[in-house]
Amino acid sequence: MKTVNYVLGGLGGQGILFMTKIFATTALNKGYNILGAETHGMAQRGGSVVSHLRIGDTKSSLIRAGSADFLISMDESEAYRYLPYLKKGGKLFANALVDAFPDKRVAAFLEKMQIESRAMEASKTAMELGSPKSTNLAMIAFYSAFGQGPLSADDLRATVDTISPGSFKEKNLKIFDTCYGVGKKMI
Amino acid sequence: MKEEFLLGNGAMALGLLEAGCQIMTSYPGTPSSEILPEVTRFAKAENLNTSIEWSVNEKVAFDNAFAAAVAGKRAACCMKMVGLNVAADSFMSAAYIGNIGGLVIISCDDPGPHSSQTEQDSRMMARFGKVPVLDPGNPEEAREMIKTAFDISEEFQVPVMVRPAIRVCHARQNIKYGSLKSNLTEADFKKEPTRWASTPKFRFLQHKALNEKHVKISEKFNLLTPYNTHNLGNEKTYDLGVVAGGVPAFVIKDLFEEYARNDIPILKLSAPYPFPEKLANEFMNRCKKVIVIEETDTVIEYMLRDKHKTLGRLTGHVPMEGELVPEKIEAVLNKAMKDCNMEPLSADTIVQEAFELVQTLELPIRKPTLCPGCPHRASFYSIRKAMPKAIYTSDIGCYTLGINLGAVDTVLDMGAGITMASGFWNAYIQDDVKKPIVATMGDSTFFHSGTTGLMNAVYNDSRFVLVILDNYITAMTGMQPAITQDRRVDGRKGNLIELETIVKGCGVKYLKVVDPFDTKTMIKTVKDAAEYAYSDDGSIAVIIARHACVIGFKDQAIPESIPVKVTDDCNECGYCHTRFECPGLYQDKENEKTEINQTLCAQCGVCLDICPQGAIVRVQGEKI
Ligand code: SF4
Ligand code: SF4
Repeated sequence: MKTVNYVLGGLGGQGILFMTKIFATTALNKGYNILGAETHGMAQRGGSVVSHLRIGDTKSSLIRAGSADFLISMDESEAYRYLPYLKKGGKLFANALVDAFPDKRVAAFLEKMQIESRAMEASKTAMELGSPKSTNLAMIAFYSAFGQGPLSADDLRATVDTISPGSFKEKNLKIFDTCYGVGKKMI
Repeated sequence: MKEEFLLGNGAMALGLLEAGCQIMTSYPGTPSSEILPEVTRFAKAENLNTSIEWSVNEKVAFDNAFAAAVAGKRAACCMKMVGLNVAADSFMSAAYIGNIGGLVIISCDDPGPHSSQTEQDSRMMARFGKVPVLDPGNPEEAREMIKTAFDISEEFQVPVMVRPAIRVCHARQNIKYGSLKSNLTEADFKKEPTRWASTPKFRFLQHKALNEKHVKISEKFNLLTPYNTHNLGNEKTYDLGVVAGGVPAFVIKDLFEEYARNDIPILKLSAPYPFPEKLANEFMNRCKKVIVIEETDTVIEYMLRDKHKTLGRLTGHVPMEGELVPEKIEAVLNKAMKDCNMEPLSADTIVQEAFELVQTLELPIRKPTLCPGCPHRASFYSIRKAMPKAIYTSDIGCYTLGINLGAVDTVLDMGAGITMASGFWNAYIQDDVKKPIVATMGDSTFFHSGTTGLMNAVYNDSRFVLVILDNYITAMTGMQPAITQDRRVDGRKGNLIELETIVKGCGVKYLKVVDPFDTKTMIKTVKDAAEYAYSDDGSIAVIIARHACVIGFKDQAIPESIPVKVTDDCNECGYCHTRFECPGLYQDKENEKTEINQTLCAQCGVCLDICPQGAIVRVQGEKI
């Protein structure tokens, strides 16, 4: 399989490592090799966090700018910050206001790069469902609705099901299903 | 077989235990900090008898591991690259004297730098100390290399360094592993004073013997596949070849695969020292030019002696500073290819365009800050309030971020908070100026490197206020327990040491302990301390600002939640943002009002006392 590159962006405290874990565990269950790169230490106190995840038989962990298939960001500004990582024809998913995304200054670039962008108010939805800290899950589910990449919505949902500790399982699956539904409606 | 998506530091921990490492010592520092906890986790899960310790500093860690190896055990010590500076005194002699059981030093580099003071290249230290070095490119390779390192160390009786860069330590990879066994080799120190305590005359002989070992190790390194190898094909000569090691070697391999380029051979030198001269010559002879791409300094580049053929940092092809991220490596290769009249990998400038576009968006600058509810913030606030005109010398740790509150002026290295304070005092007092100075230092840093400076300051009568920020933990690197805690890393009991005892033991006469959350008292304590320190019969004054880290010990740090809000009395003076800068307090972009971010606010209540208008108040009973 050709290596598939995911750049995950967000802010400290949004649970980017958990997000990475869901993707990685799903890929692992499907028998893929994975290599990723994370932020730790002083850099982690910085607010802006990014995680690279490469599914396939690659040997280096960092995704080269201009070569990511997917950019999934839990914050609008962070989506713009990591934009240069997307390749031509890549896909962008952001936690942002549907009507105001993308920023006008970015739209032309996306068009030129044939990058399709999708937005949902993931934090708001997570908050409404009673889990303000679950923007990460919301974004995974939203992304999965579009059926792109080697990990299917069912696979990802199954991982959320097994990984979530007992008391959180029901809540997490509810967020997943709701946000999956939001995405489905956009297709 | 088990499989885990392991951090590179976890993969190395696995490698250490698979190699039968019996003694493991370390001092935390990004990006090395998770190696020891991962060793602990595996050893526990697999019921191994591995002895594991967080040492008080890197030199202590090194000497501990060294002695164990001299006694015939397999031992390792891990640290970040600047930690090796602290252990340098021992490190420099270690190769001369050598070891019996394998001794592996893992020194983790931080090109970038992401979380360090320098971008120094541990391979340079390896050369300096005449220690063979291996340079892994990803977690799996690091795990395997550690076993090779132990074997070489035992075969030649020299310590061996493994130098993973941050992209190895903090990469994650799926790793399969089987069950692990304890190594039961017993300690057996064989007395041989001419070796273990050798005098200069014998050191000369040891040096000679070491040089002879190096010739042999270099021969071994010529054949050390897959770490040292090239993929020269049938061509007689190539216009350009690439020489690389460690992380860049794999980045380049992936790049060539992606662009389907097989016209450029690669010489991989991930065991660069002692230099595999023969292998390198074989490669050089078939290439008209070579480009050397290595992190972070010029180690291989200097050892390739043909200057006319070699492109790299010295010819301006490779940046002299910063991490060699893949897009930078691509640009380096493109330039070298153009210079050799070859087709570049890509001619696209779109990535450049994208980065420029991002620049114009003026995205929020997210600088590192202390956590909401952090006791250090309260300390710095009070220090600045009590001694606004002072020079603030500080140190390495989370509290370096006191810079955001204007209460950190200098940071040099571990311990310099105290020693630079002495230095400033001496410089000013020579001119008869009693310069107000406040030094700050964390508890762990104080144990690591503070005591010598403090004794020196006491003896030589330097006058300043030292505030030891005691939060019971080494927080920045991921919450390692300080020696004031009785629980050691593997759960065994430690004979804890009281900070007060050590401070007094250093000869300090004036010592006060204060809770920084009580800013009023802390401000007064600092003022009193300054008065004493600068009085004629005073001396250095020490304050222990003691409050648990809000991340490491949440319940202890905030025993009672104090919800706060901003009232209409707020006149938007901005004082709380600039002087206190808690992420829990922000100014709403739209209505320009100061508000509390309830998701971030830790409800510590410290900000209640800081607003000049008294506009930050406790929420009583009502819903927020
Ligand atoms: S809360 Fe107080 S300190 Fe902060 S801006 Fe308002 S008046 Fe100034
Ligand atoms: S109570 Fe005040 S100082 Fe404490 S975390 Fe909240 S906003 Fe920050």
